[in-house]
Amino acid sequence: MSDQTKLGTLLLVGVNHTTAPLDIRERLAIPAARLADATRSLARQPGIREALILSTCNRVELLTVTESVDSSDGAEAATALSFLEDFLNIPTAAVTPLLYTLRERDAIRHLFRVASSLDSMVVGEPQILGQVKESWNIAREVGAISSTGAFSSMLDPLLQRAFSVAKRVRTETQIGSSSVSIASVAAELARKIFGSLANKTILLVGAGKMSDLAAKHLIQQGATTLLVSNRTEARAEKIADALRTTAITTGVIPFTQLHEQTHRADIIITSTGAAALGPAGQIFSPDNARALVHRRKNRPVFFIDIAVPRDVNPAVNKLEGCFVYDIDDLQQVAQENRSLRGREAQTAESIVQLEAERYGERLSHAPTAEAIKQLQSSAEAVREAELARTAQRLANLNAPLTPEQQSAIEQLTRSLTNKLLHPQIMTLRGADPKRRGEDQ
Amino acid sequence: MTLLWLRVAVLLYGIAALAVLPAALYNRPRWRHIAMPAALCAVFFHFVALAEMLNAAHHALPVDTHETLSMLGLLLGAAFLVLAVRYRTVSFGIFLLPVAALLTVVPAFRPGAELLNYPLLHTGWLFLHVALLLAAYAALLISLIASVLYLVQERRLKQKRTSQARSWLPPLETTDQIALKALLFGLPCMTAGLLIGSVVALETIGPRFFADPKVLLSLAMWVVYIAMIFIRRHSGLRGRRAIYLSGFVFLIVLAVWAANQLSVVHRFRAP
Repeated sequence: MSDQTKLGTLLLVGVNHTTAPLDIRERLAIPAARLADATRSLARQPGIREALILSTCNRVELLTVTESVDSSDGAEAATALSFLEDFLNIPTAAVTPLLYTLRERDAIRHLFRVASSLDSMVVGEPQILGQVKESWNIAREVGAISSTGAFSSMLDPLLQRAFSVAKRVRTETQIGSSSVSIASVAAELARKIFGSLANKTILLVGAGKMSDLAAKHLIQQGATTLLVSNRTEARAEKIADALRTTAITTGVIPFTQLHEQTHRADIIITSTGAAALGPAGQIFSPDNARALVHRRKNRPVFFIDIAVPRDVNPAVNKLEGCFVYDIDDLQQVAQENRSLRGREAQTAESIVQLEAERYGERLSHAPTAEAIKQLQSSAEAVREAELARTAQRLANLNAPLTPEQQSAIEQLTRSLTNKLLHPQIMTLRGADPKRRGEDQ
Repeated sequence: MTLLWLRVAVLLYGIAALAVLPAALYNRPRWRHIAMPAALCAVFFHFVALAEMLNAAHHALPVDTHETLSMLGLLLGAAFLVLAVRYRTVSFGIFLLPVAALLTVVPAFRPGAELLNYPLLHTGWLFLHVALLLAAYAALLISLIASVLYLVQERRLKQKRTSQARSWLPPLETTDQIALKALLFGLPCMTAGLLIGSVVALETIGPRFFADPKVLLSLAMWVVYIAMIFIRRHSGLRGRRAIYLSGFVFLIVLAVWAANQLSVVHRFRAP
């Protein structure tokens, strides 16, 4: 039996957001409720030893260990395609040109990149690692991945390595540390001012998709009270109702009383775009803001001005305790963060490359290591059996060994076994083509 | 053996002070995993060294300059650990750990040799007096550092320079809480420390104790300290003006410290 056949061939077949349009990805996506069935079914395909399916909104990937010796004949890819056709009822002709097929080290590197969020649509997003873990759990639960022994399963140690590589990337780079959307940038800035947003109050002045999104982000970060003020009170009530949950208290402030009640809010999101309350046509003038900070006893207040034209006079930012970010400021921060992620992604790519090479190297030595391990354990079994038989014989002769004698014999047999095995182990190591290559 | 532990503590403070730089400034968690255990071990060895030092000198409280500096260093090291655990920020270590190391390095490598034969040194009350006042000084220093950090972060946010390179600064509200809570912690320490010192001095030295320049300055420091807390609490003073106020009180503290040179009582010469 060749080494290759013993462990199998690693194969990854799939589509992602760069190779397939959304309509194809939608058709290929396997719902969470059916993922266990799909994984079980894939693992039962002929020639497949282990299987895992990763299905997210941006990718569907089948990771398998096949029995095939020749990994370049395309037979395994055909198996994966036929599985997709059978399980999802999709004609292979529609999918084949969009599929990528990666083997062995390429598959390892790809998996490490995916788990580290380097292959994601938004590089550095944290959800993908959880999705890979979920797929791994499902595959283990349905028996598509064996979890016993270091080398009896190829996928289990590979996935665990992928998780630690992803962790290393997160730890050693800042790939996921900055926000790249306007709404999340606003939430991040709010955290820099207030720390935890727990028990903070948000005031939404005006209505708009962007301001709603920013408010939702802030609520996700822990803000518990939402006040809404709009020229049309019915519209304000509608927005408050839409955002109200069991954990969120909402309220409406009449637009005419806005300045009297603004001090209740820590974060003010404005998006009216056609202000009228202030003398310069803006809702918040420096005088309003000064009075607001005074009523708040100098506690900071954060203005997120999404409106165009602006609702908050830029001079408000100069007042102590007032922080004003308009749409351009938020976009600039998001752009800086995107650039930072790009730079960090390069560092992350080198980490992944190094780890993939290391793992590939380790995998190529795995058959030899397994053979040596088996040789040693069978020799150890023989040694222990012979020792037990000798001890029994001596006991029958009423000449049991003293503990010192037992220890000496134990040491003698162990030493003999090791010396007898040594040439065979050296021969096995010498026969390993990878090691031979290293020696040369 | 005492000096050995103290030198180990200095070394560990140094390691922690260096490791905290990449941990805080470049947000590298690996360095945080070095800085925190190093600081924890430094505080432990420092405590052991100080306890042995005081025990070996047959008095229970730090009396000479070296011992006092060393104890202040220990309090600052411990304060760093408390802040790191409570507020999940190692930024204060950038300032506190080097100061702790510097305060410890002299006693560790050039130990004092002052011979003190003052009976009061053996009383627990005097130990409390010194320890509580040192705790109040440490609290004031932390409050001052927090106010400076607040100002830097505030300016950075106002100038919209939000690059990751300076993300080590704690949120404004956190630094403000630390500044205020440090002062609130320092007040009872300072009050109790001064009261205990006054009662002990009255019993042993008599009313002329109150004519001592250090004692007068200490009382002035206490009044200003209370005024500062009152202003901060009632007007919500933050930012630049809070720094000015903390800086002013800190100058008074330094003056109180320097007044040791003019004081008879606090140099522990036999009355």
